Order: sequence, then C-alpha cells, then structure tokens
Amino acid sequence: MAGGGGGGDGEPEFQIAPMIDVLLVLLIFFMSIATSSVARYDPGIQVPVAPDANKKEDSEGELVFNIAWRAAENAAVTTFEERVVVPADTIGVLAARKKANPQVRVLVRADSETPVRHVNQVVEAAAKAGIVDVTFATVAR
Amino acid sequence: MKLPVQTNNPDVGFQIAPMIDVVFVILVFFMSLAAQIRIEQILQTKLPGVSVAGTSTEFVDEQILQIDEAGEVTLNDEAFDSAASRDLPQLTSTLGQLKASSDAAKSKLVVTLASHPDSPYFRTIDVLNALAVAGVTNVTFTAEGEEP
Repeated sequence: MAGGGGGGDGEPEFQIAPMIDVLLVLLIFFMSIATSSVARYDPGIQVPVAPDANKKEDSEGELVFNIAWRAAENAAVTTFEERVVVPADTIGVLAARKKANPQVRVLVRADSETPVRHVNQVVEAAAKAGIVDVTFATVAR
Repeated sequence: MKLPVQTNNPDVGFQIAPMIDVVFVILVFFMSLAAQIRIEQILQTKLPGVSVAGTSTEFVDEQILQIDEAGEVTLNDEAFDSAASRDLPQLTSTLGQLKASSDAAKSKLVVTLASHPDSPYFRTIDVLNALAVAGVTNVTFTAEGEEP
C-alpha cells in the first residue's frame, strides 16, 4: 500500500479548516466541564479531605445543600437551590422530589470547620422526607 | 482632511480571521474557568429506611461510634486513635474486622454515628472515610438531643 507521502512539488500550506475543527472540539470540551458543576455548587466552600472517597458517577437526581461556615459570625448559612433555607423547612420540597423521582439523593457540601449540628439538620430533613441516600462531598487532597 | 469615500461595495465573503479571534477568546475564557474547578468526590451513606410490613425482619449488627467535642472517636465506648489522627488506622482496622465477621454471619452491619453537635464536620468525614475503607455503607446519624 502506498503511503500518502508528499510527492508533490508545491509547498505545503497552512490548512485552516482542520485547525477550526480542533479549536471547536476544545471549546466544547472546556465549556462542558466548566458549566456542568458551576451552577449549583458554591465555590467558596472548602469541603473536607477524604482520601478514600468514591468518584462521583453522575449528578442526576442530586439535591445539593451547601453549608457555608462563617467563623467570624459563628453562624452557618445553608443554601438549597440557590436560596438560603432552614433545613427543616425543606422537608416538604424534598418529599415531593422523592415522590417524583425515587432515585434522588441528597448531597451535602459543607465547610470542613462547620459544627456538625448544621450538617445533622440537613441529614435529619432528608430522613424525614424519606430520602435514604445521603452523600457528602469531599476532595481527595 | 477629507476621507476617501468608497463607492463600490464588493462582497467580501465570510471572514475567517475574526471568527478565529473570537473563538480563541471564548476558548481561553472557558479554559481559565475550568482550571479553577476542583474535582470533588463523595462518601455515600444509607440511612435506615422504612420497613415494609409483610417482609421478613432482618437482624442487623449495630455498632455505635461516638465523636466527642475534641474529636476523639470511641467505638462502643472504647477509644480509638488520638484526636489528632486523621487517617484513624486502629478504627479502620477494627471496623474491617467487624465488617468481615458480619459478612461471615450473613448479617448487616449498621453503624450509628453520634457526633457531638459542636465537633467539627471534618472529624465526621474522617470517620466516614474509615467506614468507606472498611466497606461499611449503612450509617445512621443521631439527631440532636437523641441518645445513641
């Protein structure tokens, strides 16, 4: 089989079409990884380290609670779906989500220094809503 | 100074150069955004569900883990590791043995985690990490004011 070696006399020119193809693929790649997690996650939260945690397979049916610890004010701010909430007040919403999709799970993203009482309030709300899958966000290092 | 007026307006066609400029700018924007994202992992737990009437009752092997305000961990009132130890080797080893014995007895190992309300959250995560290493996923949490 003959190779496609450059036997032509002409000087090879810079091809713009393949460059645009590669550029668009890169653009779509970075857009997808940048936008998938930004919307619901509070980037200011420093989640605790757990070296042996599992890799997250997918985010489908995930109900994300962000718990930010304000050490200066000695207060925790819990947000659910971009609104500041009291965990006990979300039981109705969580129960409705559970009814609509039995596969839902609660993801707790809390600052590592947060007193655990604030995390327990979210877990308690999930349990009262009938959601048994509760996961905790961590980082590997 | 009088500027020359261009009378004819020839069709210049699709200009590739400005399009590449714009695409490059968007690409750099999303690359910088993506560089700031930290990949998170999860520790999974299963809370005890509601039992369905008519099904056989499953007997479980329940162990009680407690975390005090200083971060000291006790399993069934026996202290394991120091409060400063983050990887909890003694606890992990003991939980692994408990899991193995529960599996051998074909019973379900359930761990009740009672953290002091003022203990830091990362200590609970340390214990959940030890449970994950031991393969224990059935974890319950005590609510405030509730006895473990």
